Amino acid sequence: MARSRLLALLAVAAIGFSACSSAATTAPSAAAPASAAAPASAAAPASAAAPASAAAGTPVNGGTLVVGLPGDMAFADPSLVSDGNSLYVDTQVVQGLVGLAPGTLSDVVPVLAASLPTVSPDGLTYTFTLRTGITFQDGTPFNAAAVKYNYDRWKNYPKGDLQDNAYYYGAVFGGFGSASNLLSVDAPNDTTVVFHFKTPQSNFLLSQTLMVFGIQSPTALQKANADATPLSGNKYAQGQLPQGQDMVGTGPYVFKDWVPKDNITLVKNPDYWDPATAGHVDEIVFKPIGDSTARLQALQSGSIDIAVSIQPTDVKTAQSSGLTLIDRGNQTCNMLNLDLNQSVGGKATIYANKDVRLAIASALNKQSYIDAFFAGQALVPTSFIPVGTLGYKAETLPTYDPAKAKQLLQQSGVPASQLNIDLYYPSNVTRPYMPDPKNEAAAIANDLQAVGFTVNLKTEDWGTSYITDATNGKFPAYMFGWLCDWAGADDYLSVAWFGYINGQPNPQFHYASPALNDAMQKAIQATSADQANQYWGQAQDILAADMPEVPLSSAKTPGAYDSKVHGFVPQGGVLEYLNSVWIQ
Amino acid sequence: MLRFIVRRVLGAIPVLFGLSVILFLFLRLLPGNPAVAILGQHATPQLVAQINASLGLDKPLYVQYLQYVWGLLHGNFGASFVDGRTVASTFLVRFPSTVELTVGALIFAVGLGIPLGRLAARHPNGWIDGAVTVLSLFGISIPIFVLGYTLVFIFGVELHWLPAIGQLDPRLNVTPVTHFAIIDAILSGRAAAVEDAVAHLILPSIALGSIPLAIVTRITRASVIDVSNEDYVRTARAKGLTEKRVDDRHIMRNAWLPVTTVIGLQVGSLLAGAVITETVFAWNGVGSWVVTAIENHDLIVVQSLIMIFALIFLTVNLLVDIGYAVLNPRIRYG
Repeated sequence: MARSRLLALLAVAAIGFSACSSAATTAPSAAAPASAAAPASAAAPASAAAPASAAAGTPVNGGTLVVGLPGDMAFADPSLVSDGNSLYVDTQVVQGLVGLAPGTLSDVVPVLAASLPTVSPDGLTYTFTLRTGITFQDGTPFNAAAVKYNYDRWKNYPKGDLQDNAYYYGAVFGGFGSASNLLSVDAPNDTTVVFHFKTPQSNFLLSQTLMVFGIQSPTALQKANADATPLSGNKYAQGQLPQGQDMVGTGPYVFKDWVPKDNITLVKNPDYWDPATAGHVDEIVFKPIGDSTARLQALQSGSIDIAVSIQPTDVKTAQSSGLTLIDRGNQTCNMLNLDLNQSVGGKATIYANKDVRLAIASALNKQSYIDAFFAGQALVPTSFIPVGTLGYKAETLPTYDPAKAKQLLQQSGVPASQLNIDLYYPSNVTRPYMPDPKNEAAAIANDLQAVGFTVNLKTEDWGTSYITDATNGKFPAYMFGWLCDWAGADDYLSVAWFGYINGQPNPQFHYASPALNDAMQKAIQATSADQANQYWGQAQDILAADMPEVPLSSAKTPGAYDSKVHGFVPQGGVLEYLNSVWIQ
Repeated sequence: MLRFIVRRVLGAIPVLFGLSVILFLFLRLLPGNPAVAILGQHATPQLVAQINASLGLDKPLYVQYLQYVWGLLHGNFGASFVDGRTVASTFLVRFPSTVELTVGALIFAVGLGIPLGRLAARHPNGWIDGAVTVLSLFGISIPIFVLGYTLVFIFGVELHWLPAIGQLDPRLNVTPVTHFAIIDAILSGRAAAVEDAVAHLILPSIALGSIPLAIVTRITRASVIDVSNEDYVRTARAKGLTEKRVDDRHIMRNAWLPVTTVIGLQVGSLLAGAVITETVFAWNGVGSWVVTAIENHDLIVVQSLIMIFALIFLTVNLLVDIGYAVLNPRIRYG
């Protein structure tokens, strides 16, 4: 009996992986860049304005908006999450010093700060002036001391549960406590906050638009003993406290309650500080629906009003059933590559030869993969990072040209007998940037064989060994992608791919380029945005010439909503402010 | 009877102990790592090691097992790797949904299956019997998720008669008290809420109940036909009893036995079926929880839930055996 139960479960797990696998669940890897709940001033590109149906008329207040998310929130304390679902909720409730202008990936605007900070010439000191007259949702005044309290709290998270979950603080500032690049935060008076760094950090402002850096009420945090571990007993983190005592921010919506895996309810903040960005609907209910078919059907039948994401292959169905498609435009926040490792097991591969790499890049018909596997809902990359990423520079990348590929192969001097490719793709997974790994790998193999390669398709289980084997440099050629954490060049080029690890090139590529490393280091430590962008441009030039990986596609993340929803402003990182949304 | 019950309960202990060992080893020897599942694309070797240490996964297996069993003996099923919540607290919130779904499916299967089976048995090999047979074959052979999506498509998406997913429309603002959607709706005192909760239960009950419906129908049919051919039934008829009396007192009373056994056994398969049904209908029950836990390599949750499922299965079987004795005075357990 036990055995049959177990087999049944395993069978079901298999179904879960294959049929319903768009479920993002609560795995943090679904992360995407967050944003503050409202670009401060009324002058900021009017949140409700712009796209789609908003033109239909003046916003109507009231009603309940039901939003289908692909998974549940992880914790009610925004500083402890790193997944897209949690951040989607947090974005409505908490606000940071800075945020993103609605509908943008990297347009940083002041939110709780009155303006963007002044930066010292050496890039080590950022001084913010804060807005006045703002209170947290529990009535605590917002001021410089509150900002300091939050940054100090994160920095001093002890090892264990808190550090393990506060992934982004560690990733952005290089560690906690004395390891943090953020030396100190001072609050000389109520409206001034000064940040001191060890070394210049040009990604500071953009990374702070992630709502894990949203400022919470110090009173609420202290009263609830929000730092208690283990987190299983921490009522604040588990969202079990009454309304007004949990996830207490300054945003247009207040966290009301959370029935795990069933729903998260927010209510309109009656005392919100900025009339221009106040919410319209009285209540927002988030409904986690892991199965993508169930999510679409829920929308079609009216159980939910918005499906934050749907499968690219469901776009036609959604449109034909009268739903409005959420087109997040070309502002994508992900990239799929064919990674080429120049050395495996201490032996150079054919990919150490630049002509071979360029030949591969010319051999691939990227648009055909996008048509076949993304239902057209993806873009052919024009650089190594997506359009809309801070630091993006358009490059001329090789286009589909089999004749040129053959010519490059000849030029490479590699004998035909050695043109063998072991091409790895992951099993039991789909990712937003990789809807059908197996068939896409087969299509790639086809294109490569057409120009003279012999391709062996190989696979490993995504969660079991694929990720670790890829990052440890065991694969010669493999499909691998990245969902951006924040839409900055550094997140892709340095964090994900080419940043040196302990002074050595990333074993994923074994691509040694002192020039690239130098450009990236200079960009990261640049003291002005212009300077940083210039170095990131150089880095992309180097990559385009060397082609250590072949960018395949940047997926659009489609979603859909019911015709009664208005004022929805799509955002490429799948983190929308819902304050502008109204229903009629 | 009491002795029988005590013996059965004691007999369950080695079963559960064996299961706990097998489960524990099986889950840990499976390839894959919770830390990688938690970290996803951020799974650098250093972070993986850090998370493993925090979760206690770097300790020797026997230490992990002893800690787990020590917890179990203290009624502590452990806490999820992923969200830190204790298994017990989440179980209390989610189990009512699964019970509701299972009961709904049983009502559908038994409420329809027994009359259909009796109907078919009345005219064996007639056209009604044929129709019922075809229907049962359908019920057995259509996978739950296919039936589920189809039902939602027809009645939810196209006709808009019934809701597609969930247990209650969140717009109704029903406060969860018992986490049984229907009971919570009744407690809210609003007819619209009760109606909504019942409407939400219909499609999932049909999807989950389809297989048990087919089985109950077939068994009832076979059992009734069997009993109808017994001598004592002929005798009863010969005595001039009305057909209804023969049916109720002589045929059904005896035909119930195998049907009860099958219903009891179906409770087990209903729990397994709930795993799929809850995923398709986005129900907040134990079944969909198992799926997420497996996807996340949330070992503690998976092993605890399977233990709980086993416990439920054992309990239901015990209750079936007791039910036997009540239905059939000839059976006495010594």
